Amino acid sequence: MQRPDWAPEGIDIERPSAARMYDYYLGGSHNFAADRAAAQAMIAAVPDAPLMAQANRAFLRRAVQFLVDAGIRQFLDIGSGIPTVGNVHEIAQRAAPESRVVYVDIDPIAVAHSRAILAGNDRATVVQADLRTPDRILEAPEVRALLDFTQPIAVLIVAVLHFIPDSDDPAGILATIRNALAPGSYLVLSQASYDGRSEEERRQAEEVYRRTDSPLYPRSRAELARFFDGFELVEPGLVWVPQWRPDSPDDAADAERAVFIGGVGRLRD
Amino acid sequence: MTDDSGRSAAAVTTAVRAAQPGLREAGARGLSAFARAWAQAVIGTSYIPMPRHQLEEFLSGLTLRLVEVLRSEPFDVHLGQSVGSDLVTAHIASPEGLGRTIETIKLRLARDLDLTGPDLPARMARLLGAVAAGYSRALRDRTLDEQEQIRRAALVAREQAELALRESEARFRYQATHDPLTDLPNRTLFTERLSAALDGDDKHDRRIAVCFVDLDGFKVVNDTLGHQVGDQLLVAVAKRLRQAVGEHLVARLGGDEFVILIENTTGTDDALKVADAALAAISTPARVDGHSLSISASIGIVERPIEGTTATELMRAADITLHWAKSSGKGRWALFDPERNEQELMKYALSAAIPAALDRGEFYLDYQPLVSLRSGALIGVEALARWRHPELGLLYPDRFIGLAEETGLIVRLGSWVLAEACAQARRWLDVSPQAPFVSVNLAVRQVQDPGLVDEVTMLLRRTGLPPHQLQLEITESAIMSASDEPVHALRHLADLGVRVAIDDFGTGYSNLAYLRSLPVRELKVAGSFVSGLRDPSDATSRTDERILAALVSLAHSLDLTVTAEGVETAHQADRLRAIGCEAGQGWHLGRPGPPDQIDALLRSKVAP
Repeated sequence: MQRPDWAPEGIDIERPSAARMYDYYLGGSHNFAADRAAAQAMIAAVPDAPLMAQANRAFLRRAVQFLVDAGIRQFLDIGSGIPTVGNVHEIAQRAAPESRVVYVDIDPIAVAHSRAILAGNDRATVVQADLRTPDRILEAPEVRALLDFTQPIAVLIVAVLHFIPDSDDPAGILATIRNALAPGSYLVLSQASYDGRSEEERRQAEEVYRRTDSPLYPRSRAELARFFDGFELVEPGLVWVPQWRPDSPDDAADAERAVFIGGVGRLRD
Repeated sequence: MTDDSGRSAAAVTTAVRAAQPGLREAGARGLSAFARAWAQAVIGTSYIPMPRHQLEEFLSGLTLRLVEVLRSEPFDVHLGQSVGSDLVTAHIASPEGLGRTIETIKLRLARDLDLTGPDLPARMARLLGAVAAGYSRALRDRTLDEQEQIRRAALVAREQAELALRESEARFRYQATHDPLTDLPNRTLFTERLSAALDGDDKHDRRIAVCFVDLDGFKVVNDTLGHQVGDQLLVAVAKRLRQAVGEHLVARLGGDEFVILIENTTGTDDALKVADAALAAISTPARVDGHSLSISASIGIVERPIEGTTATELMRAADITLHWAKSSGKGRWALFDPERNEQELMKYALSAAIPAALDRGEFYLDYQPLVSLRSGALIGVEALARWRHPELGLLYPDRFIGLAEETGLIVRLGSWVLAEACAQARRWLDVSPQAPFVSVNLAVRQVQDPGLVDEVTMLLRRTGLPPHQLQLEITESAIMSASDEPVHALRHLADLGVRVAIDDFGTGYSNLAYLRSLPVRELKVAGSFVSGLRDPSDATSRTDERILAALVSLAHSLDLTVTAEGVETAHQADRLRAIGCEAGQGWHLGRPGPPDQIDALLRSKVAP
């Protein structure tokens, strides 16, 4: 019997996963030999890779803190990856315990791990889904059960869009999500950019990620700005992530080394 | 160890300790300077989930603990280790994080916090050892825990993926073995079940039955009410079939064809009961989309021992039997009959052999005289096809003409007969100027063949046979078709001089209308009327004679001649002559025979 094309994929820990490589960059051990080998190859090509991941993670932390301060109590984190440390629900629920968080990831291991982490937390859950099918995310029972779409929601798509090629219509994906949100909702985006990187670094990074489950599609700041269509960027706009509301001005030094560009937009009323 | 630390502890004085009650300015500055330097050193070694000022506060707390350890009496190695493990807990958890921590403490702690004492170097070394040990243990434990967690997550994910795969395979398997419209098992599943039943271990003495069910006139429903209504009707039929046949497998083979598998039958009765139930279930009117639809079905049933049968044979037999049920009037079942099947197979084999037999010259013609009832003269002969079959021996037209007509081979066979008969008729002209015309039967398909006129014209030209020496016998049905073409063709041939006769007149529709428009020369009256001419005292005989007389009178009034077929006795010949019938054909007047039999007749007349 031929395997139908909608049969689920098997779990292959011999294949590097972008989520577990990211965990390695952050200093975690939720990874396998193949992930570490790929991450080390990436670090050899782009020595700043761990710093980039950390800067991005810090951006996420500051953005969530900003959102909690702005009164947001619902979070939809798409492409949440391996919940290592500094997860959205930790940050949000520490600041506002009633905050509700839904994680979404395509990686079945990341989802299984998230589920283990979130066991017993009835205000946080995880859904295995693909950002490229936003309708399925928005209609997932777990999402509908925990989030109230008549109230503002913060959608976080952090360090994920660079895995989505233009052929998958990321602008269309974001439009679908935007149309489901109530006014006053927020969008948090960050993604890798080649702005200011050398051709060689670019080639080597692409080489490393070609071997993973997620090839890399970096974008320029201008390209990323399109994705905020319908949203109003809050200060300071779309910037290298260390420059986005840094804890101290020192943190924003050498910001362009972070490679990630990010920003937070508020859905126009 | 404790002795040593105990002794030296008192000697370590710290600005912090002095500062604690009154918080001396310089001490506080030293603490925050150290914490800031420490934070600066570890930032970037791994992701630290807190803002820098929070990190500095956190490290300030740890710094106080470091000082406490340095001062402790006895030396508190556990407190030292707790600093290391707390660093890991705060996710300052990379080898670089430890290296820079040790470096910072060694270089700056004593200086920034103004620590002094004779055994400070020894205590510092123990402190660094304790921090490193606590850090390493915590990092190792954390790493092992995380590895454990991620492996468990992988296992869970794998289990879920396998479960999902099994589910999807089950779903796929279901979809692959069921008909999406009716949800009945499909041909694949049916074939599997049938094969399994036939391949069972305990084949001995077990029997099986298959019923092929086909709706009658389903196409009409589809064509008139649309496919949607047709589909709904199929769904309704499927549901009833399933209910009607109980535990037996009902499958949809496609279109309006269903099949029922009955295992472990004890005889044909078991299968007939199921078939009756199925017919009854289907024929109950169904309410579909506002229409009350009545539909019947035909069923072909095969019931036989499992031993020695195959799925293919069984299915084929059921299919054949279904056609029997259809051809015997629909709305019924038929039971497979091996003898009938054998006959049909033979017929099929026979018809398939006709082309090769023609090529090999296995066909030949006999000729039967058509005799003038007045003079007894030979006026014509009817060409009659014979097949000398290599295995079955001599075959008469009743064995193969019907087959040839069904398969369309009659056109080729008929052409051969026509050509052969014309050639022979021409040869007889060489024997005697009184040579008979030759009468050849044309099948319906030949009459309707657009090439007929050309074919006959060419034959006459090629053989040199005068057209009036050829008679074409056609049946009424050949010209009853809707098309005018055959009539035109025959008129064209008649204009050439070819004789046209109506064969078997009086048994078909005997429609007189076409006699008006057709260039017919002669009526051949069926032998069944002639055979009634027996005893004049018999009432039936008198009736037949009156019919014959009326036919002859009718023919004459239309300027047609009449030939009576099946003249077997002298009495019949006498009666026919008395009625005024011109010619006769039959055993009494001459049996069919080879051409030289006619040759002999001609010669005997020419040479007095």
